[in-house]
Amino acid sequence: MAVGTHAAGGGIPVRAAQMKYSTGIARVIHSPLYRYTLGAVAEWRYGRILLLAGVPVVWMLMMHIGPIYEMLRISLLSSYPPQPGVEARFTLDNYALFFSEKLYWMPLLRSFIYASIATAVTLVVVYPVAYYVAKVVSAGSRSRALLLLLAPFWAGEIIRIFSVIMLLANRGAVNVLLREIGLTERPIQMLYTSFSISFGLVYMVCLYMLLPLYSAIEKIPKSLLDASADLGAGPFTRFRRIILPLSRDGIVSGCSLVFLTCMGVFAAPILLGGPTTSMFSETISSFFHGASSRWPAGAAFAMIMLAASLVTVGLFMRVVGGTKQRTF
Amino acid sequence: MEPVVQFENVRKSFGSFVAVDNLNLNIERGKFVTLLGPSGCGKSTTLRMLGGFETPTEGRILLSGRDVTMVPPNRRNVNIVFQDYALFPHMTVAKNIAFGLELKGVDQKQIQRRVSELLELVQLQEFASRLPSELSGGQRQRVALMRALAPDPDVLLLDEPLSALDAKLRQTMQIELKAIQEQTGKTFMFVTHDQEEALTMSDTIVVMNNGRIEQMGDPASLYKRPGSAFVATFLGETNLLRSDVVGTDAGEAAVRWNGMTIKASAGALSPKAGDAIYVVLRPEAIQCSAGEPGVANRVKGRIRQRVFKGNHTSLKVEIGEGHLLNALVHPSEVEGLSLDDIWVGWSAEATTLIPSRNAS
Amino acid sequence: MRAMFHDWPGLALKSFYWLFVLYLFLPLSLMVAVSFKDASFISFPLGNLTIDWYAKVIQDKQFLDACLYTIMIAAATTAIATVIGVWIAMLIGSLRGATQYVAFAIACLPAVVPGMISAISLRIFITTIDLPTGTVAIILGHVVHAVPFVVVMVLTRLRSMPGNLVDAARDLGADSTVTFFRVTLPYLGPAIFGGMIFCLLLSSDDFVRTFFLGGYRPTLPMLIFARVQSGMSPEINVMATLVLVVTAVVGLYAEYLTRRSRIR
Repeated sequence: MAVGTHAAGGGIPVRAAQMKYSTGIARVIHSPLYRYTLGAVAEWRYGRILLLAGVPVVWMLMMHIGPIYEMLRISLLSSYPPQPGVEARFTLDNYALFFSEKLYWMPLLRSFIYASIATAVTLVVVYPVAYYVAKVVSAGSRSRALLLLLAPFWAGEIIRIFSVIMLLANRGAVNVLLREIGLTERPIQMLYTSFSISFGLVYMVCLYMLLPLYSAIEKIPKSLLDASADLGAGPFTRFRRIILPLSRDGIVSGCSLVFLTCMGVFAAPILLGGPTTSMFSETISSFFHGASSRWPAGAAFAMIMLAASLVTVGLFMRVVGGTKQRTF
Repeated sequence: MEPVVQFENVRKSFGSFVAVDNLNLNIERGKFVTLLGPSGCGKSTTLRMLGGFETPTEGRILLSGRDVTMVPPNRRNVNIVFQDYALFPHMTVAKNIAFGLELKGVDQKQIQRRVSELLELVQLQEFASRLPSELSGGQRQRVALMRALAPDPDVLLLDEPLSALDAKLRQTMQIELKAIQEQTGKTFMFVTHDQEEALTMSDTIVVMNNGRIEQMGDPASLYKRPGSAFVATFLGETNLLRSDVVGTDAGEAAVRWNGMTIKASAGALSPKAGDAIYVVLRPEAIQCSAGEPGVANRVKGRIRQRVFKGNHTSLKVEIGEGHLLNALVHPSEVEGLSLDDIWVGWSAEATTLIPSRNAS
Repeated sequence: MRAMFHDWPGLALKSFYWLFVLYLFLPLSLMVAVSFKDASFISFPLGNLTIDWYAKVIQDKQFLDACLYTIMIAAATTAIATVIGVWIAMLIGSLRGATQYVAFAIACLPAVVPGMISAISLRIFITTIDLPTGTVAIILGHVVHAVPFVVVMVLTRLRSMPGNLVDAARDLGADSTVTFFRVTLPYLGPAIFGGMIFCLLLSSDDFVRTFFLGGYRPTLPMLIFARVQSGMSPEINVMATLVLVVTAVVGLYAEYLTRRSRIR
């Protein structure tokens, strides 16, 4: 693919006779220490399987499935962590607790609504941007255009949430600007409201929408668009009939990713929200802190959130992505 | 002398599909042997079994007299030149070539000498420190060849290595490959579906079809005396005339085809009158003239198609009603001939008979 | 005239793109601007500028300690997650059919589960295995979170690797271990490098896992979070700006290196 000379060449070719070759590797693999240990295992069929699969399988079972399994188990216990003199027994009370009080289920509903709003807004806002980068920008400057969008996300969750405060605070940039141009007398309360939470969520997660959309749209062959334009399709027809259906995969995975992330945010509602906007992760968290910690209830609530999120995403995938496109 | 490679009753099946069936093959040291056949004929599987990448379902494989049937690829003294070269993209040309030597535990000085020797052989000394991505197709091909030769294998296996090159370069590489084989004296086992490649380079051609050896021999005799209709049609262009034997006489047979009697050399066959048989007649054995030619077989015909191809002219000649013969003649032979009334003729020695039960 | 009329969607998209870039950068720029404000509270307009806050922050023991701690955790996370991620990718790459699908799903699980739930489940899990909250627990949590990203990046590269390379190495006398270290690993190099940078950023940005798994020693995001909660001051802007600059430099440098290796 590349033109030009290798760094070691540097224009003046190096003769093969002057180059250094590795003889250490032979010393290692021909040493008895290697031949009777790793070498022997690598020669043996089941040894190879063990080498390849041993660590990954143990890790994935223990660290990927283990915590979720453990959370499920705890959510069905009457008490945890174990205390002397108290015997934990199997119970469904922790799940029943959730439905017993508005104080518990209301935040989940709120989380759900915020996540849905953030997902919808992100999709509408990010789609044109992804399309622009994938199809309008020339191939040469595409990665630069993409980089400009990625860069702000290296800053991290907390810093980005904090920067939103600069914009929305009572003496923040927006309010000061509105006052300066004479639109308002007194600052509008934007921070610690539903608005600031939604705004912050969108600001936090739009990258997760951008990347799947971009890669889906980028795969649509340009010739297809040209062909349809040739057949007299206007920009809107082209968008509705060709681009949108063909980028469906990107829409589904982008929306799922954004929704799941929004359901699981913890810092944003604490920093940007007020007492009336508390979300479900705060509810769950409260079970794990303070003197009155009730882990099993927290675990049960987390399971409920996990189930609710996954079911929603599953349904969404079925509805939007379910009818498989016929490819031509 | 003991053969360097021996396949003994080797059979390889994938599920219910039999890729190689009852293969018995001995390869002599220092020969250029080609496995030739259409895709799916089992030639690549044979090569991969010798390389150690497939294990035979039955039978055994001997390399220099040693049973290597169950030996893994890294422990057998054969090396492969892969179809897409498989050069290590992160290593320089010299490092690629040295790879096998480094693993063998050859010392620094010797590796240096061997690598530069090999690069000199293909005139790539200037390219030692280049990466494979900085080479042309032909150069990569040469590096791949040298990398496989470097550890001094008993047999060098080449898996359709020229198929990625363009036609002109392929011809140059054919000559070069043969020259390198002669210079190094190595046993080459070459796999291809291209009959021209096989004819150009090989000492021995093994024609394979449906997992079996169809025929093996040196290129000239295989071309001149094909043992089956498959070999006759696969190796070069041919006219295959289905006929009946009417009589035999001292290594020659008289057969009837299309109302005429053809005298043909019987070859190894001893046909009897009444046998159904194929006559193999190569297009270049046919001569055309205005007057009656003085050869054993001659007949009148009409030229139905004439294509000028520079150093030769390709003809379709109709004999009788609807029987077409392909002929290749020198352009001067057909200059000024009337298209509707010519003589075609060929000698008895130019033809071969093959039994029709082999016809597919 | 005609051309302009035809290209109005293009122009609209272009303006929209730049508006979006403005939206992404505006809050961060304001944050950087306030870090120079000569007052002890956050408000606009900026008024007089000063670098006194910077002087104060770089002498802040707690801040420096948090930097060091964050870097240490990120380095450990990166080292462990890279090894495990590559290992898992190698396993998945060698599987076929349904097994491959299942293994891939399990490998990606920690990246799909909402962050809060992942944090809670890890908090419960470390209690079960009797691991106290603190450095080791944080690293473990970060590794679990980072591994799926390494797996995906490495697997993408692995799938583009010509299958013959491994055969060629075996053919030339390398056993499977040598083949992995001499051929496969160098081939995966760029993807592994990308994955490592990703791990560094993931770990140093992480809040929710650190919050639940950490002890009393704060990482940078924890420190900034705590300071924001206890009252705003341009000091926080300074810390955030410093972190922003460092991550941007790391990110850009990584981007530059991967692009250079791609051109090769």
